[in-house]
Amino acid sequence: MTSVSETPTITTRNAVEEFLFHEAGLIDEWRLEEWLDLFTLDCTYEVPATDRPHADPGLTWSLIHDGRTMLEQRVIRLKKPEAHAEFPHSQTSRIVGNVRILAETDEMIAVTANFIINRAKSGKFDTYVGRYDYELIPGNSSFLIRRKRAVLAHDMLDPQGKISFII
Amino acid sequence: MTAEQFIIDDRENNLFRVNREAFTSEEVLQRERKEIFDKTWLYVGHESEIPGKNDFQTRDVGGRPVIFNRDRHGDVRVLLNTCLHRGSSVCRHSSGNAKIFTCFYHGWAYRNSGELVNVPGNEDYKSEPAAVYKGLQSPAQVDSYRGLYFVNFDPDAPDLLTFLGEARYFIDLAADQSPEGVAILEGTHKYSLKANWKLLVENSIDGYHAKSVHHTYFEMMMELGATPPMLGKETVNGVAPAGMGTEFPNGHATLMYPANGLPLATDSVKQTLANLRAQAEQTFGENYATAMFGLARNSVFFPSLILIDLSFGLTLRTFYPVSPSETLVTGWQIIPKGVDEEFVKYRINNALTFWGPAGLATPDDVEALEQAQKGFGARGEVGWSDVSKGMGKPVPAANDELQMRSWWREWNRRITGQQLPTEGTSFVPFDKQDVDA
Ligand code: FES
Ligand SMILES: [Fe+2]
Repeated sequence: MTSVSETPTITTRNAVEEFLFHEAGLIDEWRLEEWLDLFTLDCTYEVPATDRPHADPGLTWSLIHDGRTMLEQRVIRLKKPEAHAEFPHSQTSRIVGNVRILAETDEMIAVTANFIINRAKSGKFDTYVGRYDYELIPGNSSFLIRRKRAVLAHDMLDPQGKISFII
Repeated sequence: MTAEQFIIDDRENNLFRVNREAFTSEEVLQRERKEIFDKTWLYVGHESEIPGKNDFQTRDVGGRPVIFNRDRHGDVRVLLNTCLHRGSSVCRHSSGNAKIFTCFYHGWAYRNSGELVNVPGNEDYKSEPAAVYKGLQSPAQVDSYRGLYFVNFDPDAPDLLTFLGEARYFIDLAADQSPEGVAILEGTHKYSLKANWKLLVENSIDGYHAKSVHHTYFEMMMELGATPPMLGKETVNGVAPAGMGTEFPNGHATLMYPANGLPLATDSVKQTLANLRAQAEQTFGENYATAMFGLARNSVFFPSLILIDLSFGLTLRTFYPVSPSETLVTGWQIIPKGVDEEFVKYRINNALTFWGPAGLATPDDVEALEQAQKGFGARGEVGWSDVSKGMGKPVPAANDELQMRSWWREWNRRITGQQLPTEGTSFVPFDKQDVDA
């Protein structure tokens, strides 16, 4: 992991935070098609296994390793009433914080942030916590996501049991 | 309170029922611990997970904490992870490399082959602990088949090969997929279900639920140009397009169906698979290679080891009960050794889209099982589940329920002592001379 850059500009951090908060809102509101539009065509969405948080999900038995096509399919599926684990939809409320810019070039910004996701479904309440790593591509007014990696700070999926929505 | 009868095996009317009390009763779980988890062969791990000297993995097997390791001489061991002094775990990491396991409570230290080698304040004991207690204990029996390690806590249980019996051919079909052997990929799926462990046994070999529970998955596959299982047209090695279920002695069972291509595979991936198949043909003959690569199969090895073997993924799963309504699951992916990175990536992506707690299908299974467990709240009024599908057919299809009945009869035999006849004969999807020779 790259080290924290010496002088993250306040304006960039504001813009990045704004973007991440917007993304979090889209997911919590189940506006998943709009969420998908935040990604580049060569994107990946990754969740490493809980026992291998540093591993590459492309080469290990991870929890999620989606390219663009599979990410689209994940969203299409989640919006169908036959996605049984998520119908009716969970209610989620996520806090994204500790946003830090790790590296910044003209083409790419590496960002890390912490998350806490509270999820309510069928009388049960679960919490998912961890760290996001992003590779963001600066656009005209905002950013696009080339890589989103959610590293769970759990040693296993218990009591959550599964990840049936977008984290 | 426990029901006296757990299954109704009505051959006259081809009806098979399971008492829902079996999924909810604490007393049944106690009996399962005593009659099943204390007496059958339980899966611990694969040799590829501890490749080097002093490598270890800690696991929970049948309610016991164990260290699955390779000692300093390279011998594979299974040690019970409990200090002989006053019980504490001697190893608290999930995996690593260690020559010595030191208990942090009072500092007793054990070599990775088990011997107690250091006791702080040793001089205060009249009888030296090392002489009295020797070392960490192991399960009564430890044995392996094709790199898969099992333990049995019963010294009198029949040996592993006898227990696996004919069903071991399904382990061979997986282990023989590369001349260099197979290995477990790094990374583990570890998750819990709020449902009885036997519901996951049923689900793991249930071809009937695929259409309803995984509807969205099959729609997705078709959109991406792949044929969902059991919708093909060809018979492969005697297995019809609709597939078939088959039972083996000791409660092992398999459902198999013609494999249907490689969704989203690149040319190089197809080539790698064709090479593996060509090598298998040369070594084992065409018939065996076709069974290996032309058929897909979901097998259960009694009580709770599942091998799901498709040409685009090879998933191993085992699970143990925590309570009548809670189960801990561990899942791994197996990869043939000596294949290129693109092939590994492909297998991972394909298998991940379906399996695992964050896949596009498994969460719906979990939901179904948790809903079933919830439904058992009404067992006072609706006391029995039905597992009759395909009963009485000469050849049950993959989406019939023979596999489950076979498993349940073995469960019932161990819990109640009542022996019930099988429904038919075991079927092996290849010419056995191919490998027995
Ligand atoms: S319990 Fe292990 S040294 Fe005392
Ligand atoms: Fe399923």
